[in-house]
Amino acid sequence: MSAISDRARGRITDAVIALGLFFGYVATLLRGVQDLGYARDEGFYFQASSSYARWFDLLLQDRKAALVPQTVDAFWNANPEHPGLIKGLFALSNLFLQKKLHLFAMEGTSYRFPAMVLGGLAIVLVYLWGAEARGRVAGLFAALFLALMPRFFFQAHLACFDVPIVTMWTLTAYAYWKSLRAPSLLWPVLTGVAFGLALDTKHNAWFLPLVVVAHIVGREVIHQLEARIRGVGDPAFGPSRLRSLTALGAMALFGPMVFVLLWPHLWHDTLARFRWYASFHLNHEYYNMEFLGKNYWSPPMPRAYAWVMTATTVPGITLLLFFVGLGVRARARLLSPLATALSTRSAALARWAAELPVPRFDPGSTDLLWLLGLVVNYAAWTLTKTPIFGGTKHWMTAYPFLALFAGCGFAAVVRAIRRELLRHRRRFTWALAAGRSALPVTALAGAAVIAAPAAETLHAHPWGLSAYTPLAGGAPGAATLGLNRSFWGYTTGAILPELNREVPKRGSVYVHDTAGPSWDMLATDGRLRRDIRGVWSVAGADYALYHHEKHMRGQEFQAWVAYGTVRPAIIGGLDGVPVILVYKARH
Amino acid sequence: MSKAPSRLRWALLAVPLVGAVELAGQRWTTHRAPSFDGWAEIEAPVRAIKQAGDLVVIAPEWADPMARRALGDELMPLRDVARPDETRYAHAIEVSILGESAPELRGWREESRRELGKFLIRRLANPAPRRVIYDFVDHARPGEADVRGTVPPMECVWNSRAPILAGGLGGHPTFPPERFECPAGVFFNVGVTVIADEEFRPRRCLWSHPLARGELVTRFHDVPLGQVIRGHGGLYWMVERERRGAPVTLTVRVDGDTVGAFTHRDGEGWKGFEMPLGAHAGQRAREVELAVTSSNHKDRHFCFEADTR
Repeated sequence: MSAISDRARGRITDAVIALGLFFGYVATLLRGVQDLGYARDEGFYFQASSSYARWFDLLLQDRKAALVPQTVDAFWNANPEHPGLIKGLFALSNLFLQKKLHLFAMEGTSYRFPAMVLGGLAIVLVYLWGAEARGRVAGLFAALFLALMPRFFFQAHLACFDVPIVTMWTLTAYAYWKSLRAPSLLWPVLTGVAFGLALDTKHNAWFLPLVVVAHIVGREVIHQLEARIRGVGDPAFGPSRLRSLTALGAMALFGPMVFVLLWPHLWHDTLARFRWYASFHLNHEYYNMEFLGKNYWSPPMPRAYAWVMTATTVPGITLLLFFVGLGVRARARLLSPLATALSTRSAALARWAAELPVPRFDPGSTDLLWLLGLVVNYAAWTLTKTPIFGGTKHWMTAYPFLALFAGCGFAAVVRAIRRELLRHRRRFTWALAAGRSALPVTALAGAAVIAAPAAETLHAHPWGLSAYTPLAGGAPGAATLGLNRSFWGYTTGAILPELNREVPKRGSVYVHDTAGPSWDMLATDGRLRRDIRGVWSVAGADYALYHHEKHMRGQEFQAWVAYGTVRPAIIGGLDGVPVILVYKARH
Repeated sequence: MSKAPSRLRWALLAVPLVGAVELAGQRWTTHRAPSFDGWAEIEAPVRAIKQAGDLVVIAPEWADPMARRALGDELMPLRDVARPDETRYAHAIEVSILGESAPELRGWREESRRELGKFLIRRLANPAPRRVIYDFVDHARPGEADVRGTVPPMECVWNSRAPILAGGLGGHPTFPPERFECPAGVFFNVGVTVIADEEFRPRRCLWSHPLARGELVTRFHDVPLGQVIRGHGGLYWMVERERRGAPVTLTVRVDGDTVGAFTHRDGEGWKGFEMPLGAHAGQRAREVELAVTSSNHKDRHFCFEADTR
């Protein structure tokens, strides 16, 4: 009875924490969204989503007409480079939450809202998975470490797919993990459906089968090795092997079904259109990206890119705790089997091996799955042909796993502190009190490890892509190192008060890298004066924007010659580092 | 009492301290560079020590926009900011922050230094300056120069109120409001513009897109000559980095004598040349012709600068 009520209490606690994380994160994202301009790609997704919204509207009014193949294509052929699910959610949010319910102060927020919700769900998923696998402290801090990665926080604001795919990727991996642990068909089916949702979110989903297959093979190998070392394998392995294969089968079955079902663009001419979509990404053109002072625009790309960018953009304490967590888990999982394997070499080794705790059978092979979640997501960036133009967002699907290990690391730190406090209980009575309960130590140590990520993340806004951790010397250090300061032209949003104040009535502004629909949305939002016209050349414009990127400096020089000045009228940026410049015409 | 903690446990206990150190690091890095408005501080001291002909250089290079805003076009004119190189300057004022220094001024002798808050302002002397007698880019205007095409013969007319044309995102450099315009089309003009070199540094130069056939000749009159004609040529890097275009040749003639030819191939970037003037050295030339040709003029956004020294 008591055990049942404990479990119920635990579930309620988890639910309360999960809801707190979710609403807290989404509310924080919503609060900051008015400072953030629209990224270039968001503009294209606004256009596509508007088209899909018109189709949804038609579907509600005249289902038969909406489902005519030509009509479906007319609305859904917009932006076939990316699947329809998330843009469909943007469309539905705009259609219902904005056009009908007028929930948001700005039109653009209605498009961004689904991605924010999915960002909140990613945090919740990490919490639930971490708590279930490694305890509540590990889960909570894993969730916080993910939430407080400056680049993740930045991306979570955008009407793009990069945070949604993090959520779908994690959801699929979590559902697969649950499949291994529970003798039910529900989780394998959910794994398949989640994989379909991931496929319909972004092509990063293509890596998921690799992880699952590698996990199935990896656990088989480990099981065989352990059986050889210990002389007997765990009898629980057999059923979990069957469940893992069932989940993989469900992915193969439901994944493509959900993918096609939720992307009307693929309803007709499916194979040819899918081939085009796959080919677009497999043969993607190389855009420019600055790294350590060099502009990369064609292979070979630098192999160090993903590692250096991770090291300089993920808070240092999070990375340190990740390594602690990795070490702790490796020790817990590998030490005993290795010692046992070596125990025949000497009596001392045999005694030591006998003293070590034998790791319990983990039907989900959690550590292996998390490790594969990391390795597979980074693997592509060890190849010199993989494009790097999107910066950290390319491998952001690895970050939940990085955060989960960091959560384990933090839990280990809390355990160590508590053990140390209890060791001194005779000398200090307060130590006994503090060491007995997890809460004071968790709160104090937690504040110490969360303060820097929180400060870095909140300070970076709205210059998310310009933010670097103290390891790189912050934004100034990164600029000196020659690391990219921004891309996508979104920083226009940060200098809108100056533009609204300075640009003459019915004046014009050269918008540089801000896409037309992104610029228009600023005016629709009411953030940009409606009489200010965005134009495509500095010639004749009253003001010219320049979003700094190394390879785009020619844009700045165009303004110099056209306006006869090298003196920027307005500078915007982070911590004294210029990110956006505005030039004023002298006419 | 249990045994003392191992080294590993000590390391774990220290982890929260690392978090606190990172927080301190975050506070430090956010405040270590001057604010954008803080750059106003350098205007008076730079003005006080800058002499005519001095170059102003900012270190690190990314801080240049704030200095340009604070010092304006008078102290940091386009011709200095988009200079071909530093050889012509006898002195430079280096404004540096964060302990950086300008690599291009390495080896220059320090004449004075002043620390001002987060700024270090130094006046440096070039150990081997070279005096420019005549800068062809400065003299590309009517009365001192004319422009023509040879095949078919065409005159490129000076327009002091030409419509400014700029390529926008991914497009060509700006064609300035004062330029020689050839009848072959808008790309065929000669005027002072700025291109981005292979490091995306600004280079002020004479836009001289070769014609489909023959030469595009810019002729300068009554030119005092030094020992050499020296310069650089290149194409807007985004164009030449593709390495798909034909070479461009710049031929230099002094009073009808060819003193040298410089060929630029895609991928060479902002490339220098120096042509000894031989018997013409130290004389006054009636005319100096700078003629641009290419076997295939497609996308040849050629731009050059030249002087005699």
